Amino acid sequence: MKKKLAVIALAGIMTTGLTAGNVQAAEPGGELYVFIAASLANSMEEIQKDFNQKYPDVEIFYNADSSGTLQTQIEEGSRCDIFFSAATKQMDALVEEKLAKEDSVVDLLENKVVLIKLKDAETKVTGFENITEAENLALAGEDVPVGQYAREIFTNLGIMDQVEKMEINEGKNVTEVLAAITQGSNEVGVVYATDAASVADQVDIIAEAPAEALETPVLYPVGLTEDQEASSAEQEAAEVFLEYLQTEEAMKVFEEYGFSPYTEEKEEAAAEENTEEEAAE
Amino acid sequence: MSIHVNIEKKFKGFSLKVKFDTESASTGILGASGSGKSMTLRCIAGIETPDRGEILVNGKTLFDSEKKINLRPQERHVGYLFQNYALFPTMTVYENISCGFRGEKKLRDEKVRDFISRYHLEGLEKRVPSQLSGGQQQRVALARMMIGEPEVILLDEPFSALDGFLKDVLQRDMQDFLQEYQGDMLMVTHSRDEAFRFCRELMLLKEGKTLTFGKTRDLFEQPGLVEAARLTGCKNFSRIEKLGSRYLFALDWGISLRTEKEIPEEASYVAIRGHWIQGRDTDGENCIPFQPAEYVENTFEHQYLVQTPGMDKDTVLWWMRPRNSFRETEERLLPEYLYLPPEHLMLLK
Amino acid sequence: MSEFIQEINWSPLWISLKTGAVATTITFFLGIWCARKIMKMKPVSRAVLDGILTMPLVLPPTVAGFFLLIIFSLRRPFGKFLLENFDFKIVQTWKGCVVAAAVIAFPLMYRNARAAFEQVDVNLIHAGQTLGMSDRKIFWKVIMPTAAPGIASGTVLAFARAIGEYGATSMLAGNILGKTRTVSVAIAAETAAGNYDVAGFWVVVIVALSFVIVALINIVSGRGMKSRRWI
Repeated sequence: MKKKLAVIALAGIMTTGLTAGNVQAAEPGGELYVFIAASLANSMEEIQKDFNQKYPDVEIFYNADSSGTLQTQIEEGSRCDIFFSAATKQMDALVEEKLAKEDSVVDLLENKVVLIKLKDAETKVTGFENITEAENLALAGEDVPVGQYAREIFTNLGIMDQVEKMEINEGKNVTEVLAAITQGSNEVGVVYATDAASVADQVDIIAEAPAEALETPVLYPVGLTEDQEASSAEQEAAEVFLEYLQTEEAMKVFEEYGFSPYTEEKEEAAAEENTEEEAAE
Repeated sequence: MSIHVNIEKKFKGFSLKVKFDTESASTGILGASGSGKSMTLRCIAGIETPDRGEILVNGKTLFDSEKKINLRPQERHVGYLFQNYALFPTMTVYENISCGFRGEKKLRDEKVRDFISRYHLEGLEKRVPSQLSGGQQQRVALARMMIGEPEVILLDEPFSALDGFLKDVLQRDMQDFLQEYQGDMLMVTHSRDEAFRFCRELMLLKEGKTLTFGKTRDLFEQPGLVEAARLTGCKNFSRIEKLGSRYLFALDWGISLRTEKEIPEEASYVAIRGHWIQGRDTDGENCIPFQPAEYVENTFEHQYLVQTPGMDKDTVLWWMRPRNSFRETEERLLPEYLYLPPEHLMLLK
Repeated sequence: MSEFIQEINWSPLWISLKTGAVATTITFFLGIWCARKIMKMKPVSRAVLDGILTMPLVLPPTVAGFFLLIIFSLRRPFGKFLLENFDFKIVQTWKGCVVAAAVIAFPLMYRNARAAFEQVDVNLIHAGQTLGMSDRKIFWKVIMPTAAPGIASGTVLAFARAIGEYGATSMLAGNILGKTRTVSVAIAAETAAGNYDVAGFWVVVIVALSFVIVALINIVSGRGMKSRRWI
């Protein structure tokens, strides 16, 4: 009799223990701090709404700013659970400082660098290659990622010297470059596809950056960051949200705003093409 | 009833060295602008601090650099009348005067109203200083100063910012006020007329240093020092060569003069005020032939600058003579000689 | 746009108001206090301190914000100290908004207060002293009323700057809707995201708010000068 009781009691304890653990692990909730690059703001807002339909107990706080500022804030102890950067540089730095969890980092999105002009305006420029035919050019500064990418393109096309001789309106950030085009201050400008999409009714995309000209992938990595203050429910929430960002549902939203999914296969395919071409020559 | 001052202070490129002890109740400090008179006053009030020395009022030490005593202005009970009155511009007359009241709160209103009537300010209680006339402003400033019952009052050039008619009115008001006031008064001025009129004792200040101190009338009569004579308005000076105990030769004027008093050892100058020179038609002792080199027509007096052959090339004698009317011209009644009365000759060092 | 109006989250407005009020109040008292203290200093130390106090005006706000972030960083001693002993977290909180706004607006209040005090006739102060008024009484009843116009103008400028501040705020406090996103930060963020109409909406809001507050300050200070009684 005692033995039976003991077994039942033990089984009861173990079951309770198991279910209790399960209950804890299965319910994400609490506050989630997600630091996102400014260009992701609009798309992430929509995604948040969709996510909260499924997980209403998770309160998401976005902090949107330039990737560099976000990196600094995280380094200085700001509370952050997920970091979604506009370039690999900042994420790599945080990984090295052990502030971001290396295993969780996913290269999620890719943005394209495009050449734009004011809608229905006239220009002789047909692509990056003959950009020098424009009267003037709006370009982001060298410290801004898209500005770096643009210059890399021109250098690889071998026209950097001529471009520098052009009348260049240098913007402190992408917003300024966009504004220069939409307000007619400059003939052509170099921005992200997502930026062009945000003012789709005001600009025309002349061309995308030629594949060979831009070697650095314009990718947006996302990953979990160390958060000492997070409860286990909140940690769970972070993992769930990170997974959600990788779903098709979320990707559809991103694509609506002009992003494309980053796939390694594409890279390999491009690399294969290159080697094939070289072989052919 | 006395003020004892003995202070030194370096400021603005020159140094102040002032020493005097007053006995009478009204004292003046006479000096040119920038001679340090206001600074002296401010040191006594406590709004400036001397480098060294002591200041006592009625036996109470206000400042002593040796004993490290330096009372705050609030504790000195010294009334100060500023040149521009320093009435608080955002406060009414009533409020301004209240600020000076020291004592129990419940007695304040009564005393303020009393002072308002004493100083003929009824009906103006609610006005602000910008709405008052010059005379009213002065009365408010006085009332504000007096309501605290100061033991000593310091007047900083009270009339120098005023003109003509207002000045006369306010000076009369001041005279009435001073007659009533029982405490000590110390006035600073650059006008010898004001000093003479209001102050029984006088200290002469030149470039920050006490020149001399004494009873006003005596000082004007016998300044003792050339600089003092100059400060009190004398314009006629000559170096002398002593000829006898009451006889001298005025080198710059080229005449010998008899004096009334015995000539002191240290005396090296003789001086006479232009107003005391008299015109004569006959020659005699202490006479100079009258040869005007220049004439100045003042409003109420004739002024002649006299130069005679016996005089040094650059020296002139000033002679002032009252006019009888505006129409009287310079030529009327010109004398042959100028007489320098012995009793008015000042012997100076 | 219309759906935006329906769903509108007014939190930036409340955050801006709170921040503006608290930051301006802090700057008001701190600016006046510094102006008084600095006037009593000797020329050399006065000049040096004056330069330091004016610096936030000269630095680009983002740089100022960066310095503030470093100072209050939770990974560094001072930030840790505040958190452990007072449970005070400045970064990433509304308190950070206030600190950033107050620091940026401070030089305006301080310089205006100082200028206002310096043009007070020094004889008024001396008169107060000889009449036996305490230094505190002289300050509040003689100096302040005379300096009121300059002080009021400084307050207006400080408030405007505090409300309009975004560079230092976003650096120190972040851009978190509901917690630290002020109207100015919202405007910058929406502009960066390309949502010009939303940004425009917030611009209208902040202009209207500023107009009302500035008018109020002017009325209060103007009335205060003429009819306030001191007895």
